[in-house]
Amino acid sequence: MVAAAQHPNIKLMTYSEVVDVSGYIGNFEVTIKQKARYVDHSKCTGCGTCFEKCPSKVPSAYDFGLGTRKAIYIDFPTAVPNKPVIDAENCRYFKTGKCGICKKICPTGAVDYEQKEELIQEKVGAIVMATGFDLFNWEEAYGEYGYGRFKDVISGLHFERMSNASGLTGGKIIRPSDGKEPKSVVFIKCVGSRDEAKGKEYCSRACCMYTAKHAHQVLDKIPGSSAYVFYMDVRTPGKAYDEFYRRTVEEGVQYIRGRVSKIYPSGDKLIVMGTDTLLGRPVEVEADLVVLATAMVPSKDSDKIAQLVSCPTDKDGFFQEAHPKLRPVETMTAGLFLAGACQGPKDIPDTVSQASGAAAKVCALLSHNELATDPMISQINEALCSGCLVCKGVCPYKAIEEKTITERVGGKPVERLVASVNTGLCQGCGNCTVACRAGAANLKGFTNDQVLAEVDALCR
Amino acid sequence: MSIDTKDFQPKIVGFTCNWCSYAGADLAGVSRMKYPSNIRVIRVPCSGRVNPQFVLRAFQKGADSVLVSG
Amino acid sequence: MKRIGLFVCWCGSNIGGVIDVPAVVQEASKFPGVVYATDYKYMCSEPGQETIIKAIKEHNLDRVVVASCTPRLHEPTFRKTLAKAGLNPYMFEMANIREQCTWVHSDEKENATTKAIALIKRALSKVSKVEPLYESYIPVTKKALVIGGGIAGMQVALDIADSGHEVILVEREPTIGGKMAMLDKTFPTLDCSA
Ligand SMILES: Cc1cc2nc3c(=O)[nH]c(=O)nc-3n(C[C@H](O)[C@H](O)[C@H](O)COP(=O)(O)OP(=O)(O)OC[C@H]3O[C@@H](n4cnc5c(N)ncnc54)[C@H](O)[C@@H]3O)c2cc1C
Ligand code: SF4
Ligand code: SF4
Ligand code: SF4
Repeated sequence: MVAAAQHPNIKLMTYSEVVDVSGYIGNFEVTIKQKARYVDHSKCTGCGTCFEKCPSKVPSAYDFGLGTRKAIYIDFPTAVPNKPVIDAENCRYFKTGKCGICKKICPTGAVDYEQKEELIQEKVGAIVMATGFDLFNWEEAYGEYGYGRFKDVISGLHFERMSNASGLTGGKIIRPSDGKEPKSVVFIKCVGSRDEAKGKEYCSRACCMYTAKHAHQVLDKIPGSSAYVFYMDVRTPGKAYDEFYRRTVEEGVQYIRGRVSKIYPSGDKLIVMGTDTLLGRPVEVEADLVVLATAMVPSKDSDKIAQLVSCPTDKDGFFQEAHPKLRPVETMTAGLFLAGACQGPKDIPDTVSQASGAAAKVCALLSHNELATDPMISQINEALCSGCLVCKGVCPYKAIEEKTITERVGGKPVERLVASVNTGLCQGCGNCTVACRAGAANLKGFTNDQVLAEVDALCR
Repeated sequence: MSIDTKDFQPKIVGFTCNWCSYAGADLAGVSRMKYPSNIRVIRVPCSGRVNPQFVLRAFQKGADSVLVSG
Repeated sequence: MKRIGLFVCWCGSNIGGVIDVPAVVQEASKFPGVVYATDYKYMCSEPGQETIIKAIKEHNLDRVVVASCTPRLHEPTFRKTLAKAGLNPYMFEMANIREQCTWVHSDEKENATTKAIALIKRALSKVSKVEPLYESYIPVTKKALVIGGGIAGMQVALDIADSGHEVILVEREPTIGGKMAMLDKTFPTLDCSA
């Protein structure tokens, strides 16, 4: 992370969003919105005095409400950049106009309540989508797991925040309900994955492995504990993956093949009911904590960014690669590439390989000074063009421009407006040729004459 | 030509977009689907390229039906 | 006068097993302007492409039709073949007699043969009207934009940056790292994720 922030060729823009994209391969124009941080990062040294003293406490969303953060905050101690932002919605100064403590105590005077969001224009030759994933909202779909009513039924990512040594529990696994260490932990796989009725049809690919990891962490960190995994299949097709899973079984993780039909509370415990389909009999496990391996879904608002950059999506909303086998990191939009889980669920090794693949494609593109364009594009016969510009209105790629030409009429020069095709923008759709009543617009490679000749040949 | 004879075989001309329905017709082939052989397809870069004039010309030259798809 | 060369592919038995290829070649070669017509078992193979190059030179062809698979597959291949023989690569048209003929009409062989002839005549008719086209050139801005600063975005940005190009890495959250930064140890090696 630090490497990406410090590389001299990388301009890192956090707390920013791409809000507009125009242009084409080799020549995109993008507008990036830098959201107001209310902290001038060129002055801030990341000393942390402000968030020590800030009086507004907010449950930390990053840590699934495991703890609190301040209104001026960084998400975790090793965050990059390691400088805070103010969450205006929860800041006392923004809500009531009183407070201003952080501004007063900041030793470098970096806090700036007047900071405005900024729009920055950039020109780039290639764009890579790496917007990742979010987790399936199981609370809305799975009544049998309590629709999120039971505090001790959590997601795998929530579990990660607890077992993470730099998280708020310092790496201790606890029950969210009472903070006690769980002795019996049940894991349920394929929650929202491979479930057409309630979730998604596809396999999320990383959860079999991280569930094995989680179960191992339970046994490793909590003496005398037991870990159960309800599963449909165990899918471990990766280098050293099956070995990893086997080790956890040898350590004592108990795998039960079957789906869970109901979870209900009993005292301060949860009873997990299911069927062991291998033994063909119902099972009941008493659990202190239940961890769900929830499906990966496209990240929030990825449909919007997809629209901005004209990136096609698949039936599940993941970005669509140009070809599943032969062009896995390219898209049908020239100059637009894909990396990571935004293209489909994947784990870190696959993400990194795909990212390097995408980078290689970008480097190949950027190594050219010029690119050849498809010659099958529209062309305007200026002599026929009446300058009505109807074509301009129908062009979906904004490729038609106005141009003034000078003609000699009766020996005198006369200026006249005509349409002109931007050869970089024209995608050769031919819409303009149909709109043009004067017959001035024609599509090279699919001219009126050529298509009519085809019609004649087929009808003969 | 009368359409109530049983042997009537219409002559169908199709205009299909290279990126979607032409690719779809290819996929039908790759999947070894079967359909009657009396449709003949012209590839266009976009259904928006299909000038009404092309359709009229097809009818004029004896097509019984025209499919525009994209 | 136009000098068209026609090359009909068997695609092994994919095409040759359904339609009567020699009959198709014979019929289509009557089309005005066709000065050379032949068939071959795999047109896209190296010897197949050599056949085209040789014919262009020997028969002084100025345009070519290949009847084989979908142009979505091999149009670029054959365009290059033409260029190698010194012809403008756009003096070319394909007839899709596999995906849109033999594969979908394999149980009506005679009709498939008739259709293949029609499709080839369409291509011949179009190719009679084509003109040389030339590619134009657009400049390339040597800078990349990466949207999303998870492990994927960071890796892409670092690799591109290491090759000497500038990168803008845009992350909507206050910090980069994405989901991976939230993880404890990661499988399969259980090393830390920071
Ligand atoms: C609980 C859990 C445990 C896991 N454990 C492991 C493990 O042990 N080993 C392993 O190999 N894999 C593991 N994985 C999988 C791993 O998390 C993913 O493979 C990896 O995070 C994918 O990286 P990414 O960069 O594609 O996506 P993300 O990590 O989701 O990163 C995407 C980034 O893009 C940003 N972003 C999104 N939209 C925009 C936008 N419009 N503009 C700007 N920025 C945007 C996001 O804020 C985020 O920072 C686990 C996953 C989960 C859920
Ligand atoms: S990886 Fe495993 S747990 Fe995840 S969806 Fe696929 S089979 Fe289910
Ligand atoms: S529609 Fe035709 S006549 Fe009108 S401006 Fe465009 S090219 Fe010219
Ligand atoms: S062919 Fe399509 S993209 Fe090109 S100028 Fe005409 S309408 Fe625009």
